[in-house]
Amino acid sequence: MEQKFKEIASRYCKGDVGEITPEMAIREDLGLSSLDLMTFLGDLEDEFDIEFDFGADEQKLGNIRTVGDAIGLLNEYVG
Amino acid sequence: MKKTIHTLWNRSAKDYADLPAVRWLVKKDIKEISYKQADEVISGLRKGAYALGFEHRHIALVGTNSAEWIEAYMSVVTSTNTAVPLDSALPAHDLIDLIDRSDSEGVFLDPKFASLATEIKDKCKKVKKIWMLSDEAIEGTESLKDLIAAGEGADEPSAPEEDDISMIVFTSGTTGKSKGVMLTQSNLYTNIEAILYDMDPGLIFLSVLPVHHCFCLVMDWLNGFWMGAVLCINDSLMHMVRNMTIFNPDVMLMVPLMVETIYKRLRTLDPSIPPEVVSEKVFGKNLKYIFTGGAHLEPYYIEEFNKYGIDVYEGYGMSECSPVISSNKIGDSKPGSIGRPLPNVEIKFVDGEILVRSTSVMKGYYKMEKETEETLKDGWLHTGDKGYIDEDGFLFINGRVKNLIILSNGENISPEEIENRLALNDLIGEIVVTGEDNLLTARIFPDPDMTGGMSDEEIRNALQEILNDYNKQQPTYKQLSKLVVRKYPFLKNTTRKIIRAEVYRDEQGA
Repeated sequence: MEQKFKEIASRYCKGDVGEITPEMAIREDLGLSSLDLMTFLGDLEDEFDIEFDFGADEQKLGNIRTVGDAIGLLNEYVG
Repeated sequence: MKKTIHTLWNRSAKDYADLPAVRWLVKKDIKEISYKQADEVISGLRKGAYALGFEHRHIALVGTNSAEWIEAYMSVVTSTNTAVPLDSALPAHDLIDLIDRSDSEGVFLDPKFASLATEIKDKCKKVKKIWMLSDEAIEGTESLKDLIAAGEGADEPSAPEEDDISMIVFTSGTTGKSKGVMLTQSNLYTNIEAILYDMDPGLIFLSVLPVHHCFCLVMDWLNGFWMGAVLCINDSLMHMVRNMTIFNPDVMLMVPLMVETIYKRLRTLDPSIPPEVVSEKVFGKNLKYIFTGGAHLEPYYIEEFNKYGIDVYEGYGMSECSPVISSNKIGDSKPGSIGRPLPNVEIKFVDGEILVRSTSVMKGYYKMEKETEETLKDGWLHTGDKGYIDEDGFLFINGRVKNLIILSNGENISPEEIENRLALNDLIGEIVVTGEDNLLTARIFPDPDMTGGMSDEEIRNALQEILNDYNKQQPTYKQLSKLVVRKYPFLKNTTRKIIRAEVYRDEQGA
């Protein structure tokens, strides 16, 4: 799943998928804009066939800063 | 014929009666209403409000883009009432403040923000009615059905005059208070009239901008309705790209940030795939025209999108001008410029600043006479932008007179507004907010009296805490992403004002 996640993330950033680490900040390190991050979350929904709950998980979604944060949240939905 | 939105809508409802007016998604199904069906709802809502005594009253709208939001909005702007579209992403106390300050007596409320209803009732004393943008009401509110029922069998209210205020849109203010831009019926009508392009009815628009924005309301919705277009609602920015392949639009209005995001998508696709295949996969089958505004677009993107058969036209405007001032047009454009001034716009330059006189210039800021006098002098709107017109008559922007930060999503951030709020904190001695790479940075000189005995790390952590608290209450675009802690105060001029232009230069070692 992590690999698929990174492939989707790489649609929005330059560089090699292999270089993405969980510690990286999505906006500052990967260079995603706020809109990139939104559409990236939309891609995750489509690719993993899930639907983020913006009511209940608003805080969690709003607090995504690093690649690890996003993978963690994704695990909750996919798992 | 009166140049009003009432005239515009009635003409379209009659001429395009059986054509689809609005499309939207419910889960994966596409729903649709025709111009005739939309008109029935709009007329019903308008009569209902009139029967309840709403005539020349202000009615606020809180919600995201939906068919109900648009129907409610159209019911207000086709009457003598004034629509006050608000940014639903704002913190609750700001929304309450704006509902109150705009003297709104009715509120249309998206069910997603139902929790606001009680607070509005308690704190906005002028509000007499709250209508949920839904067929179901919650306690203390009424539904759209209830509103339509209130006007059942009643006559149509009298039509608005050209000079009636059709809407008040709020825009960033430098003193910490956002300003309500008053736009008349004819301000809006003549702005659309000046920008119309020759296309057959049935053209498909996908509306992706926030619906409370003047650019979206006037250039997607009112302009689209004028042309008999099919307006498709993008349910979420998360699915903007996917929705392009679902609705297959011909035309889209964007802010540069959206163009940049789509470009990143294009760039990562396999270069061996033919452009027409890529284009269909990313933009849908029909996209031909993208109009951008709200912030400057690098001409590079125009060239890149051209390779996929898509023309990108940059324009320029501000809410105070309903909003378009100049625009590149189909068959008449120059990349890098913001197009020629519209036919109803006169431009002059004073000390490099662009001044505008037009039938689309606002009446003023609502209950802010001083701010109105500063911006509108002798009928000329002071844009705060510096620019010039080249030998071919195209307008260019090359700087700003005021301190607004324009992000590439088109949001205008007033640094003073954020600074004034944060400066209330004792730990902050001096603060300047700047924008780089679409992120806001707080540059802070901590108050030496308050930081005695604290290590650099403790100071940084304490300041970061303050920013975190602030960020929690703000929409994403107003959040402060970076913190620079300064060791020395900012350079100041003789009147002890911080010299903004010197903020970066004197930062080394600061």
